[in-house]
Amino acid sequence: MQLELPDYREQSPEVRARFAKIAQRPVVLGVEGLTKRFQTPRGEVTALEDVTFNVHRREFLTVIGQSGCGKSTLIRILAGLETLTEGSVLVDGKPVTGPGPERGMVFQGYTLFPWLTVKKNVMFGLRVRGTDTVTAESEARQWIEMVGLSKFENSYPHELSGGMKQRVAIARALANQPRVLLMDEPFGALDAQTRCQMQTYLLQIWRNVDITIVFITHDLDEAILLADRILVLKPHPGRVEELIEVPVPRPRDPGQLLTPEFLATRKRLEELIHPPSSATTDKLPNLRLTTVGDEVE
Amino acid sequence: MPADKQHWFRIREELPPRRAALLTAASFLLPIAIWCIVSYTPFIWHPDVKLQLSAMREGVSTTYTAGDHVSRDFFPTFVEGVRSDNAAIRESLADPEFKGNSAMRRENQRRLRQLAPVAISNGWLSAGDAENDAAIYEIWKGIATGTLVPTRPALTDENLAIVRENWAALAAGSETFDFKALPDKPLLKLVPQGRLANPNYLPAPHEVVIKGWTLFTQPLSSGQWLYQRLMHSITIVFSGFLLAAAIGVPLGVLCGTYDAFSKLFEPFIDFFRYMPAPTFSMLLVAVFLAHDAPKIALVFIGTFFQLVLVVAKTTRQLDRSLLEAAQTLGAKPPQLLGKVVVPGILPDLYNDLRILLGWAWTWLVIAELIGVKSGLTEFIETQGRYRNFDAVFPVIILIGVIGFCTDQFLAWFRGILFPYTARNRRPLGLGLPFKGLFQRSPVIPAATPESSR
Ligand SMILES: Nc1ncnc2c1ncn2[C@@H]1O[C@H](COP(=O)(O)OP(=O)(O)O)[C@@H](O)[C@H]1O
Ligand SMILES: [Mg+2]
Repeated sequence: MQLELPDYREQSPEVRARFAKIAQRPVVLGVEGLTKRFQTPRGEVTALEDVTFNVHRREFLTVIGQSGCGKSTLIRILAGLETLTEGSVLVDGKPVTGPGPERGMVFQGYTLFPWLTVKKNVMFGLRVRGTDTVTAESEARQWIEMVGLSKFENSYPHELSGGMKQRVAIARALANQPRVLLMDEPFGALDAQTRCQMQTYLLQIWRNVDITIVFITHDLDEAILLADRILVLKPHPGRVEELIEVPVPRPRDPGQLLTPEFLATRKRLEELIHPPSSATTDKLPNLRLTTVGDEVE
Repeated sequence: MPADKQHWFRIREELPPRRAALLTAASFLLPIAIWCIVSYTPFIWHPDVKLQLSAMREGVSTTYTAGDHVSRDFFPTFVEGVRSDNAAIRESLADPEFKGNSAMRRENQRRLRQLAPVAISNGWLSAGDAENDAAIYEIWKGIATGTLVPTRPALTDENLAIVRENWAALAAGSETFDFKALPDKPLLKLVPQGRLANPNYLPAPHEVVIKGWTLFTQPLSSGQWLYQRLMHSITIVFSGFLLAAAIGVPLGVLCGTYDAFSKLFEPFIDFFRYMPAPTFSMLLVAVFLAHDAPKIALVFIGTFFQLVLVVAKTTRQLDRSLLEAAQTLGAKPPQLLGKVVVPGILPDLYNDLRILLGWAWTWLVIAELIGVKSGLTEFIETQGRYRNFDAVFPVIILIGVIGFCTDQFLAWFRGILFPYTARNRRPLGLGLPFKGLFQRSPVIPAATPESSR
């Protein structure tokens, strides 16, 4: 049965109004003609080529693309952990020259400091920037409460599950009150159920905090469920394939996974990321063992 | 399946605690059991005879005294030699023409003293009285008349007969010792006796235990106590090691953090560590003179260069992403060293130092032999030269026990210092006595918290 799906570019009036509103907000993160080349022993590798996009205040942008298409490189450049070859990255109009507290980052591998308790981890950014212990502690408590881990504030990271660790990492990044939160496949290492919960938590936090999020994923459903807009990267070298405005209305919940707008967007993403040509070249030969008995289909 | 019904050999699976404890105990008991079996089962090995009673031979330059080891093959020849000496003596005594000779008295005095070791081990004579001829004379009398019966060791019937035969000749002169009254004709020689023994470089466990006990509970012949020597050795190890750590740890951390330090120091250090520390001993004595300073310097040289490289490597192994995370949180590069690098490597650094402390103990043995010999090693060397191996073993074992206990303690203490590494990491080696004593239990509830909300 072939379901008749609407065009993913069709937007309901409310959704259209919402995008118009977002577009009027100031640009927090501006990326212009970003190109990145790596010098490797085997010659020059172009990881990103002429990437341009803007992210508006309190917008949620997800970046999706095949593995190796430059997603991590992009976000590391935004964080200032990697230099760029050409182009510019502006945060609130100021060029990025290195890592800074106005751009918080959440890594896939948690990167909590194992020698610090949950509370001390969350206090870390405040303390290195000179906040006194008492203030830092009370602020940290608020953020820990926001991610629902008050009971664990004195636990060490090794005592927490993966999902809890990632919530601490989010609280730690948010405690600095950054302008942009950069997340590189933060839920990639979690099991499906925990990941689904984390998505709900993240959306809730995003609603309650003045924060702009750039979120990298390779999971199509995750990209759609979270995003206002999806930046699709095309590999070798990494270029912007399309910037999709997600037609699914907010507030979001996993129940929308089967709505026509969602499925239409998902179909489009699938076309972009797994083009039919690659499906034909990557087919298994149909070898059949003679000992196979009963039919399975 | 209950834990004790499972197979003992499962690839890369941990044994249940009871079995682990059992095998740990066995790993110590097994070598001791082998030592006991080799020592106390006469038909296993035992290539020597340990003399309980020895004899002098005319015209044979090598002399053996009681306590000496002779080979099992040679012993019968030795006995036969003495018997033929006795046969010759009997022959000459039977000759009516045979004249006594006053020079013979001195020789006879020596033959009387043959009994002294037997008398000492039977407890009739104190060790200092081995040449107390009056007392020995009484013992000859006692054995000949049957008032004294040797049991540890017993005398052979052959030797008992010789004692009685000699006593008859002695009693004819005097009932008590009087050199001038000693016969001027030769007395018979006691025939050597002994028991099967291992070479003296492998003393039996009880000999080592007894000797060890006296070593620790009585002052040594030099008037010092063993523990004083031990303290001296410990002082040298720790001085050298702490000095190396005090300079080496900061340098290693800097090398692991900043490539500039690494390129400036590490190539030379890497070269230097291939020059064995002992080769510097003469130089060190020339520079630091004779006493403790060159010894400490040798431990330092042996430890320092390895330490810098190991610490630098550990520092480099720190997860880079922790540094990146700290930077995205606003930490400036100068803060990273103190706020991330040092606390991040501390648990591994601690382990490195633990291993290097073991190395320092190894260097101690060489260090104590340079310049003026000292400490436990000097004791081992002296005793070894006199082949008193029963005194050597307790000291070697002592060093081992101290090293092992220090390491076990440090491994356990690591869990206290760094509670966040306690899980999944057991101290090397034993770990059993301390296991679970002070470990924080993880506070993860049984259900995943996400699903319970
Ligand atoms: N430090 C580096 N040196 C050389 N090439 C790199 C480096 N980092 C990434 N690359 C290359 O850039 C491309 C993009 O990598 P990455 O950003 O990690 O992809 P993604 O995160 O999308 O999987 C890859 O082809 C990778 O080989
Ligand atoms: Mg990546």
